Amino acid sequence: MTPAEAALAAPAVAGESYLTHRRGVRSWLFTLDHKRIGIMYLALISACLLLGGVFALVVRLHLWSPGGALVSNDSYNKMFTLHGAVMIFLFVIPGIPSALGNFVLPLQVGAKDVAFPRVNLLSFWLFCAGAVLFVATLVAGGLDTGWTLYPPYSLESSRGLGILLALSGVFLAGFSSILTGVNFIATIHRMRAPGMGWFDLPLFLWALYATGIIQIFATPVLGITVALGFLERLFHLGIFMPEYGGDPVLFQHFFWFYSHPAVYIMILPAMGIVSEVVSVFSRKPIFGYRFIAMSSIAIAVIGFFVWGHHMFVSGQSRWSNLVFSFLTLLVAIPSAIKTFNWLATMYKGAIVLKTPMLYVLSFFAIFGVGGLTGLFLGALATDIPLHDTYFVVAHFHFVMVGAVMIAFLAGLHYWWPKLTGRMYDERTGIASAILVFLGFNLTFIPQFLVGVAGMPRRYATYAARFQGMNRLSTVGAFVLTLGLGFALYGLLASLRRSGARAPANPWGAATLEWSAASPPITENFAVPPLGRRPYDYTGLRKVSDEAGWVGVEEGAR
Amino acid sequence: MNPALHRLGGALLAAGYLPERASSIAAGVDHVFGFLFWLSAFFLALILGLTALFVVRYRERPDRPAPEPCPDHDDRLELLWIAVPLVLVLILFVASTRVYLAMTSLEPGAAPLRVDVTARKWSWWFDHPGGKGSKELHLVAGRPVELVLASTDVIHSLYVPEFRLKQDAVPGRFTRMVFTPTVAGTFQVLCAEYCGTNHSAMSAPVIVHPDQAAFDAWAAEGQGGGGGGAVSLLQVGKAVYDEKGCSGCHSVDGTPGVGPSFKGIWGKVHALQGGGSAKVDEAYVRESIVNPGAKVVVGFENLMPPIPLEEREVQGIITFLQSVKEGP
Repeated sequence: MTPAEAALAAPAVAGESYLTHRRGVRSWLFTLDHKRIGIMYLALISACLLLGGVFALVVRLHLWSPGGALVSNDSYNKMFTLHGAVMIFLFVIPGIPSALGNFVLPLQVGAKDVAFPRVNLLSFWLFCAGAVLFVATLVAGGLDTGWTLYPPYSLESSRGLGILLALSGVFLAGFSSILTGVNFIATIHRMRAPGMGWFDLPLFLWALYATGIIQIFATPVLGITVALGFLERLFHLGIFMPEYGGDPVLFQHFFWFYSHPAVYIMILPAMGIVSEVVSVFSRKPIFGYRFIAMSSIAIAVIGFFVWGHHMFVSGQSRWSNLVFSFLTLLVAIPSAIKTFNWLATMYKGAIVLKTPMLYVLSFFAIFGVGGLTGLFLGALATDIPLHDTYFVVAHFHFVMVGAVMIAFLAGLHYWWPKLTGRMYDERTGIASAILVFLGFNLTFIPQFLVGVAGMPRRYATYAARFQGMNRLSTVGAFVLTLGLGFALYGLLASLRRSGARAPANPWGAATLEWSAASPPITENFAVPPLGRRPYDYTGLRKVSDEAGWVGVEEGAR
Repeated sequence: MNPALHRLGGALLAAGYLPERASSIAAGVDHVFGFLFWLSAFFLALILGLTALFVVRYRERPDRPAPEPCPDHDDRLELLWIAVPLVLVLILFVASTRVYLAMTSLEPGAAPLRVDVTARKWSWWFDHPGGKGSKELHLVAGRPVELVLASTDVIHSLYVPEFRLKQDAVPGRFTRMVFTPTVAGTFQVLCAEYCGTNHSAMSAPVIVHPDQAAFDAWAAEGQGGGGGGAVSLLQVGKAVYDEKGCSGCHSVDGTPGVGPSFKGIWGKVHALQGGGSAKVDEAYVRESIVNPGAKVVVGFENLMPPIPLEEREVQGIITFLQSVKEGP
């Protein structure tokens, strides 16, 4: 038997695929298998992305005309609030860690599951409950506070059930996030394969580890804040509301003490995916491994001390503004370290332009813009005029949608063969990557321009001179939607009976998940693997496109 | 600043992206913006250029199936891309800080024109010196301005793109902005902090008069019973002083009473019981009304009850205190 035939003779390892191991709805809803939980997360957050996306399209359509083209001001305010809240709390924050991280992390450390499988399931259910409460908010008449929930506006006594449901939803989703962080940190500490040292961890895991630290330390503050908001609304405790003797700026401190680090909860796992993909598709070890790993930790640590930059015009003292400005600008350095190490990884490589890599290349451009425009908002002199304008909207969409969603798509295409055992159609994938890139830039570059010209954010109506740019942005949103539609179609179409079967290692990657079958067996590995260097491609040999790469074992130390 | 940056600022201005510069700090802000714009353009070009170059040059091809030998780390390179951003960030911070300090400091020179600003859903109200209240903000070109912002309901934010300035108005406290308008003309105050249904319609004209005489002429219009209808802050303050019982304990002629006399009290620094001192300013007056026992002046007892006042009444008392000057 030739190696190709050997590789194709499925299953490569004894045992049954986790997908077919047991059947029925209950076998999914009550599963303790991290892979099934990851798939359920993936389905749920994709649905949330769809919901948030529909809100976004309504917002963009409304802004077709300066006077508002579609709905009333109040409805518009609800649309952008729900767009922001659903996207941030139910897609961007949990997206990469809970869906892809849950699936990949135990495989990458060579373990059978996460450290606390039952806690993992609990975390999933808490997340579901949070999502249900958000949908209930929608049914109860919606919410128009902005996702930032600033009092006094958000806690005014005229408000009904909506705000209470939304606060509860945030609380539960936050709890789910904490539990996921605990699980990931424990798993990385305790369940690494024999011989896998800290500096043999794939960089995706360093990123998830840094993310876990933030989830554990910052998210409880969010929980306390929304709980206080809940009690303030019901019992007028006098914490945030000036009319009862409270301080609305205190809420902003609490809120951003979580929500700024949360930006790093979003971006760090995205950077982790980029580190994996750029190395694999350059066929070269990642450049500056330790610097990339440590820059994740640096971002996590500095990220805790920059929250005040959201409050530069709130009336806080100018000396605190200066300190927060300085610390904020420092984040540029670990970001630069990562970017240049990724570029250096491609140098002299053998670059393969498949869908995940195309997404990563567009990540470089978009994260570049998102990071650099962050400097404008970290520097006080330029932040004061730009604060709360469309410049800010464009900046954080470059970071959250551009960088995070594009990295999510890169990761989804990269691990899709492992998740499902199927190969997506490469041409559809490439088309989606190009359309997403073009649509994204068309949507958000005009927003930088209107922001610089002085168009404030969260405006249901706007000055007529901004109409041209707003229309470009709206057109861009539909191009972006089309690109996402292509991605969705390409991925789902591979699940048909006729979909191409994926080999265990289609990309020639060296991290441990690729030595498991595609899809993995329920126990992940028939024989517990030994640790190996994650970016050492010597000893890997390509058999054919269908059979992928073999010989990972020969590379083990 | 570098002449090239001036040209860039000019180019962006000409292209219509940057609003007109109409305050003394606008040019400084635009210089920092120009510096950052070129810095970002350079690094973005570097990232995109290297990406494109590497993809074209090092793409996997039949004649190039494997990577070339290359080290997987280089500490000198790491040092380079740590040190260069660090130095640039420090330069940026210094440049930005210098401009920011100017943006938050009153220019020395003429006494500032003080305007009390009230934000509410979804309009602005401006109480000008001399008692003239208006839905328009009136200023004088070249004369420093001090705006004291209050809000009666939720958080709003006063934003004038041409001045390159923005400041939240927060209920339950006063915030302040200081600047000098430089160009006579009409601009718009926008609300930059989301405040509900008509947030996007919460704007007001800013009229910058060419000189003090023009401002005075405007301020005299409708005064002396000629209409307008609005009660001035000073009148509100006097009424509160008489009707809410302040006069029982606080004299206006310097006579000692149960509480400190209001005569000449504004701006004074008083020693407090339990140590420390406090300057009598907007924040202190507000605190003393809401929570009178928080900072009691040495020599007096903590006898005053909290006085529930409307936002406008607090502003009125402050204006009244400013009017009770030292002297015969």
